[in-house]
Amino acid sequence: MIKKILLICLMIVSMACPAFAVDGKTLLEQLDRNLSPESYESYRKLINIEPSGAKKEFTLFTVKKGVDKVASLFIAPASEKGRSTLRVGDNMWLNIPNIGKPIRITSLQSVVGGVFNNADILQLDYTAEYDVEKVDEKGSESLLYLKAKTKTVAYDKLKIWADKDKKLPTKIECLTEANMLIKTLYFKEVKDFGGGIVRPAVIETDSPLYKGYKSVMIFAKIKKKNFKDEVFTLPYMPNLESLR
Amino acid sequence: MKRLLLIFLFFTVCLIPTIAGAEESYTFDLGETEKKPYHVGGYVEFKPILYGLDRESAFYKLRFFNNPRGHNLLEANGRIQLEGSYEKNIFRIYAKTNTDLKSSYSGESERSTFYELYGSAKPSSNLKFDVGKKTMKWGKGYAWNPVAFVDRPKDPDDPEQAMEGYILATADYIRSFDGPLKTFSFTPVLLPVYDHVNDDFGNNNKLNMAGRFYFLLYDTDIDLMFMTGGSRPDRYGFDFSRNITTNFEVHGEYAYFRNSRKNVLDATGIPRQIEKEAHSFLVGIRHLTSFDLTTIIEFYHSDAGFTSDEMKNFYGFINRGYDIYQSTGNTNALAQAQQLAESGYARANAMQNYIYVRFSQKEPFDILYFTPSLTGMMNTDDQSWSLTPELLYTGITNWEFRLRSGIIFGARNSDFGEKQNDYRIELRVGYYF
Repeated sequence: MIKKILLICLMIVSMACPAFAVDGKTLLEQLDRNLSPESYESYRKLINIEPSGAKKEFTLFTVKKGVDKVASLFIAPASEKGRSTLRVGDNMWLNIPNIGKPIRITSLQSVVGGVFNNADILQLDYTAEYDVEKVDEKGSESLLYLKAKTKTVAYDKLKIWADKDKKLPTKIECLTEANMLIKTLYFKEVKDFGGGIVRPAVIETDSPLYKGYKSVMIFAKIKKKNFKDEVFTLPYMPNLESLR
Repeated sequence: MKRLLLIFLFFTVCLIPTIAGAEESYTFDLGETEKKPYHVGGYVEFKPILYGLDRESAFYKLRFFNNPRGHNLLEANGRIQLEGSYEKNIFRIYAKTNTDLKSSYSGESERSTFYELYGSAKPSSNLKFDVGKKTMKWGKGYAWNPVAFVDRPKDPDDPEQAMEGYILATADYIRSFDGPLKTFSFTPVLLPVYDHVNDDFGNNNKLNMAGRFYFLLYDTDIDLMFMTGGSRPDRYGFDFSRNITTNFEVHGEYAYFRNSRKNVLDATGIPRQIEKEAHSFLVGIRHLTSFDLTTIIEFYHSDAGFTSDEMKNFYGFINRGYDIYQSTGNTNALAQAQQLAESGYARANAMQNYIYVRFSQKEPFDILYFTPSLTGMMNTDDQSWSLTPELLYTGITNWEFRLRSGIIFGARNSDFGEKQNDYRIELRVGYYF
């Protein structure tokens, strides 16, 4: 009898583990799709706020296709206008009109300065870069523990707090392999963008590495849209304006 | 001088409200996202420079032989760039003008030109045509680009400056794929050289053809390029760029020149033209540390550059010409040296082997938008070198403040040792609108 009970327990444990992993992956996929359609265009304003209260703002037009292609064009301020960034998988480039040719950049750099780095600005789907290690239930929220699939990802670990009902993130902690906190993203002001897209319109971030500094990303005009693959190529970078 | 004063006043008037308004609350006005068919913008710059002259150097003697200066020379520079575009359907026209103003010991000067002026047609997302004056900017190198066959040479001392283009017709055909080859593109170029059309490019009455094939293959950017047509010797080349890790990039360029020509002086000061095949290459890395220190290191070689002996012969020729002028007033030799200087001896990095190293630290001590950097360039043939510390601040929207200095080290008869300056201090204040 004891043997049968032990066997049943073992079966339950062995079956529950993969099922749990699948649930975590499914939940992460839901978070990705609720944050944005797989292919879309949007406008964003990035604001860097210094401890003194001084601000610097950047306005970007962004297009994304599939899981690994995203491009952004700076449309303001005048000093940055015309600059564009492209990400295809782990490859990232910056095109500065004066320099003329796209140069390779890295995910940890920041083309805008402040707390947001290039990986934050050219964000891919979380499922493209991370595996779910564990999901904890925290009242009305789920807490997902994510581990980067490769060493090339900007943050080795993520902890995502997600609203269980809305299936949207409320807070994300970005950590190093040694669990050192790099930055925290706060998702705020859930808004209906039309076309079935309901998601936070504001992401705030702060970082223990930049004490007193804060960066804010405000979203607008998120629209489902398909683009040709050629849009996400180096030769096309100077022409992103023509998509607006 | 009036125009330079006007630029200075413009900065003073514009800067005060910008600083005062730095603490307004933020909003996202959707009007900012509306696209207009036209765009007008520009850049204004004020740049005073203090030169510390090396009065014993060959290039000082060549430039100031009949108008000797003290130990220092102050110069005020201004720059105005205007750009505009208009877009309708698949068509777009774009123009960018550049006006350089200078006030120095020799008086005032102004040079205005179109840096770019071209029309584009974009019938589909994978095809585009451009006709007019345009910069192509081929190559992956930061300080030098041996494969930039259809561009003017970059200034390695200031590689991020906007450059003047050539009048040409070009197209871009792009294809994307799944698999190891993700992108392919072809860029053909027709570059005519006739009276008043690109007549500073090379031999006249020629229609030159160039082309570039680009591949994103196994996460590596690869370009193959060529140019033929007679205005300049035929040339072929390739470049590549790849991220080895997220913070470590390698790049390189190689160019082969058939029948490359250069005018050289022998030890007795007799000029002759050497014609031979030449190779030029560049290898470089770009690295970013976890504390945001970016390092760029490049090594550049050019067979078309002058050897140490050829440069010594040239410096000797200037010195002899200067002595003749001092004793007799005869300027013939110095006039000939001036012609040789313009034909190649005076160009930036005129010799064969150079190393470029640049360290830039983003936002040290938590000072946002502040980037100090240190750039070193060494001629490895004669071990002369230059060092350029720089402080850059971009914290006020649309403003750029850059304080830089250049210090030169080198013995007599060396590349950097014979430059006209021992040091240079430069302030650059720029405003984008």
